Amino acid sequence: MAAKNVKISRRQFLKASATAVVSLAVVGSAAYYLKDKSEVEKTGVIRPPGSREEEEFLFACIKCGLCVQICPVHAIKLADWDHGLAYGTPYIDVNQQACDFSCDAIQCAETCPTAAINFQIFKGAGNTAIEKLTQKYNGKLPPNVNPFQVQIEAMKRADKMGIAKIPDPQQCLAYHGHGYKGKLGKTHSLLRPPGKTERIYIDEVEVNRKICDLCVAYCPIGEDAIRLKDLGDNKFLPEVLDACVGCGVCQMLCPTSPKAIVIEPLKELVNA
Amino acid sequence: MSFLYDLITRDKKRKPLPAKDRSNLPFAKLGFTFKEWHDSHVNTHKWRNRRWAFLIFINLLFVVSFALDLSVLEGSLSGSRLIGIYLMDPFNSSQELIIGSRTGYIAALTTNFWIGFFVIMTFYWLLGGRAFCSWVCPYHFFAEMGERARAYFIKKKKIRDKTYDITVKYIFWAGFLLLAFLTKELVFENLNPVGILSRSLIYGPGLALIWVVALLLYEVFGIKRFWCRYVCPIGVTYSFIGDISPIGVKFDLDKCGYCTDCQDVCLVPHELWFVKKGAATKEVHFTGGDCTKCGLCIDVCYGEALSFGFKAPSYILGGEVKEEKELHPLEIEDSSIKKDEK
Repeated sequence: MAAKNVKISRRQFLKASATAVVSLAVVGSAAYYLKDKSEVEKTGVIRPPGSREEEEFLFACIKCGLCVQICPVHAIKLADWDHGLAYGTPYIDVNQQACDFSCDAIQCAETCPTAAINFQIFKGAGNTAIEKLTQKYNGKLPPNVNPFQVQIEAMKRADKMGIAKIPDPQQCLAYHGHGYKGKLGKTHSLLRPPGKTERIYIDEVEVNRKICDLCVAYCPIGEDAIRLKDLGDNKFLPEVLDACVGCGVCQMLCPTSPKAIVIEPLKELVNA
Repeated sequence: MSFLYDLITRDKKRKPLPAKDRSNLPFAKLGFTFKEWHDSHVNTHKWRNRRWAFLIFINLLFVVSFALDLSVLEGSLSGSRLIGIYLMDPFNSSQELIIGSRTGYIAALTTNFWIGFFVIMTFYWLLGGRAFCSWVCPYHFFAEMGERARAYFIKKKKIRDKTYDITVKYIFWAGFLLLAFLTKELVFENLNPVGILSRSLIYGPGLALIWVVALLLYEVFGIKRFWCRYVCPIGVTYSFIGDISPIGVKFDLDKCGYCTDCQDVCLVPHELWFVKKGAATKEVHFTGGDCTKCGLCIDVCYGEALSFGFKAPSYILGGEVKEEKELHPLEIEDSSIKKDEK
């Protein structure tokens, strides 16, 4: 009797384990298949600043959302199922809300417990900048130099999320010599204009520009990232320079439709 | 592993104590019939109410912390920060560590990760491992409701219950870790209804909820508590630490009337194996690692034979407990007097 019971329970166990192994195998191959087909891998997506290479990022990110919570402008969102295996990972939709670096310390990277968004990059860049500064002044900083400002500027530039591109100059208002009058943006997005301390909602501010240069005027990095090039004949075109980090403020503010200036995720550039 | 196995099975392997005869049952000692005794107990659902209140409170705290931008409990159940202290989901972290040890990423993990991992492990070790399941897990809450719906359909004879071998969950646990190692992906996290539900509650619902609803429906109409009992590796991770936890539901054979009502309400009935007549091998038993410390059995017990209790350190470490008292001579006299009165 006892032997029979043992036999039944062993058979039951083997049956259950077989089911488990088969389902695990199915899940595993599905994961492998999806990894191959992943939309994000193919088209690229804008990740928070300091994010690791996609392959590493996908296992490093535990999808907790701490970066989403810390971001003061709510730029970071979590991906849904349409992102395949990247489900639950953070990304930035620059049309809705770009990263304007107004947290001043790349807080999403600092908060990430698994370093999927790697704070070490920014920490290193900030420290180097301070070191260089103190060396320059032999350890005695003049009162008009704010070391924190220097640190922040260096941190902003330490990593690229993407890079701004102007796919078709014909779309650009400045290219035709047009100005722009109206709201700074159509979306209810936050932005801290360069040099200011307060954030504004871009749909609550009116601007009037003789030549539309919103992308240049509001760039959080400054003139070594983007400048307005005079093509002569009352024609202008923004020119993207090396310091561009792909934060997306220019795309968020661009008043044309489709946007004349767009951020290309760095991923695609690497593959191309 | 074999240490844990011995720990889990040692009580079952002992020779059962002889079953108490009728006159020694608690209600007979008090001079009641079983029915009188049974009817005199009012179930106030004390622990269930406390537990549901706590579960809803914790999950709401997550939601409110994000919605109102409070720095109280940020993040989600995959990883969070409680007033500055990081907390990490143990299975998520385990996968991370397994992949990290293969790719070398383990060196990149932050101090906060390690703090979160050890804080959560210690916390749930103190509070009995799977206490997470019934006191925090939002999926458990819905599954518990599903279990009630299922009970209704069973009563109506629409479906029948069938049990499967629960050891299969260890295969899933090891399997998901292996998959993580092989694919270098947090494979389980994409299926994890706890994370999906938690994120949906906090950051707004998404398509992934379809999977959670499908699982819940399967638990109602397919296999009872399919995910929690047979698959969930988070629960298994917690059950490992629960096996050596100092807290458990304590069973006092002396006060038991052999009604087994506790096993009927229990979410993991195999943990209450000792309540059956003649099954107990000791005067005092503790539930093991699978016990979610939900307190349903404590609420239902007529004789207060079940309660939350602390295990002796020697017992946790695998030693025997010297609690096998013999029946006091006075008690024997007492029961014989009552017999005479009848």
